[in-house]
Amino acid sequence: MQRSLRLLPRVHRLARGINTPASDSSKSTPRTASFGFRTVPEEEKESLVKNVFDSVASSYDLMNDASSLGVHRLWKDTFVSTLRPGKKGPLRCIDVAGGTGDIALRILDHAREKYADRETTVEVVDINGQMLKEGFRRFKKTMYHNTPQISFHEANAQELTPTQFTDNTYDLYTIAFGIRNCTSIPDVLKEAHRVLKPGGTFACLEFSRVNNPLLSLAYDQYSFTMIPLMGTILAGDRASYQYLVESIRKFPPQPEFANMIRDAGFTTGKHVDGGAWTDLWGGIACIHTAVKLA
Amino acid sequence: MTANSSTRLLKLALPLVSQHGFTRAALARSVLHLPTPHPEPLSDTAVSALFGRGDLARKTLLRAWLDGGVESMHSRPPGGGVSVKDALHARLAYNEPVLAHLPEAFALLAAPESGIPPIDPIPALKHAARIADEACYAAGDQSLRLSWYTRRASLIGIYSAAELHQLTSPQTAHSFLDSLLSTSAKIESSVEDVKLFSSYIFRSWAGIIRSKDVL
Repeated sequence: MQRSLRLLPRVHRLARGINTPASDSSKSTPRTASFGFRTVPEEEKESLVKNVFDSVASSYDLMNDASSLGVHRLWKDTFVSTLRPGKKGPLRCIDVAGGTGDIALRILDHAREKYADRETTVEVVDINGQMLKEGFRRFKKTMYHNTPQISFHEANAQELTPTQFTDNTYDLYTIAFGIRNCTSIPDVLKEAHRVLKPGGTFACLEFSRVNNPLLSLAYDQYSFTMIPLMGTILAGDRASYQYLVESIRKFPPQPEFANMIRDAGFTTGKHVDGGAWTDLWGGIACIHTAVKLA
Repeated sequence: MTANSSTRLLKLALPLVSQHGFTRAALARSVLHLPTPHPEPLSDTAVSALFGRGDLARKTLLRAWLDGGVESMHSRPPGGGVSVKDALHARLAYNEPVLAHLPEAFALLAAPESGIPPIDPIPALKHAARIADEACYAAGDQSLRLSWYTRRASLIGIYSAAELHQLTSPQTAHSFLDSLLSTSAKIESSVEDVKLFSSYIFRSWAGIIRSKDVL
């Protein structure tokens, strides 16, 4: 949620006519990506995302909590405690699209508090410098500032610089509420597979598909009426909240995304909830895990 | 890497059970036996990612092992089909290499995932029921209706008793199973005899009553 909410302040200017059918513009351009329910040329989505992130205000946390009722914190806690970083010795982690360091901080805290591990390191990667600055500022308030445990890098998840992010380097790759905003999900997965060590773990936290029809009905009502309304009231910006909701609906459902992960060369558990993926709150969010075997 | 390679890792982990037990260590070490072996076992995080958190991973391994056990019951002796007896013996033999770890494994099986109630007997019953059913299936059992159930119920009892016996006294388990099977056959035939005899009594009494013009 955080990631998409970061988009909010500027998106409405860029995303006018967001509700035009997807097929309209897809005929003219050969390579397109979805931007909400709208289809835009691939290059455009990247610049949209990048521009938006550059101008992001640091007040999005309020909106995050307002529109998820604070639940995104619980999900992030669950996400990190599922991974149990530091249980069997220090890990070298990379947190992609983790600008503000939400996941990184949880990983380091978990390792330190549970397993007295101060050797686990996290490299935070984000495409957006402003978000990284925000994260850096936040980390200055913690004990991890100026230690080798944390570092911030500006890079694109789809093409991590091979010299800086060498092959077979990391034990753990995390991406939380970020992969949805990337232009090409397969490219992100491919890069994840490249930088992970054999035996390394890929973990992704993302909004997903609600399968329970009743819950789905309630959730649809909530997200198509309440979230844009809150956007109007709290940020004076309805269209960007519409984008948030639409981009969630455009993201592939759990089984499809699990297939994409396997297509990138990863190994997953059984193709069911609780195996390759774990639904949170009935599938509103979902944790996908996979391992690079070779 | 095929889509099913977590299943493949489970297969590779099964031979390690005799040494490491039904543990996450056994799962972690499975990658050392891949065609291109990894230099070190899987990390804890990776084991969780593939097989589930904490004891769930152990349960996944245990279930895979139980599935293997069901398959082992179909191994045919050279020439001829499988009898119920062969199938049950084969299943007991499958337990032998990991016997030391079995009590713990069954305890794990009986431990409920949510914590309440303290012991969940259903998985243990299912385990025995599945073996009884599989033995009947392997032997081509044709019984119908009530006898379908009684046949399986008696086999559940027999196999459970034999397996419990095996835990304490592995050497005598097979002969114990044989004796149970023959006893149950004897019981079955004597039940049949009782049924037949009581039907005679019933008919004779009916004849007497009718001849007395009571009805």
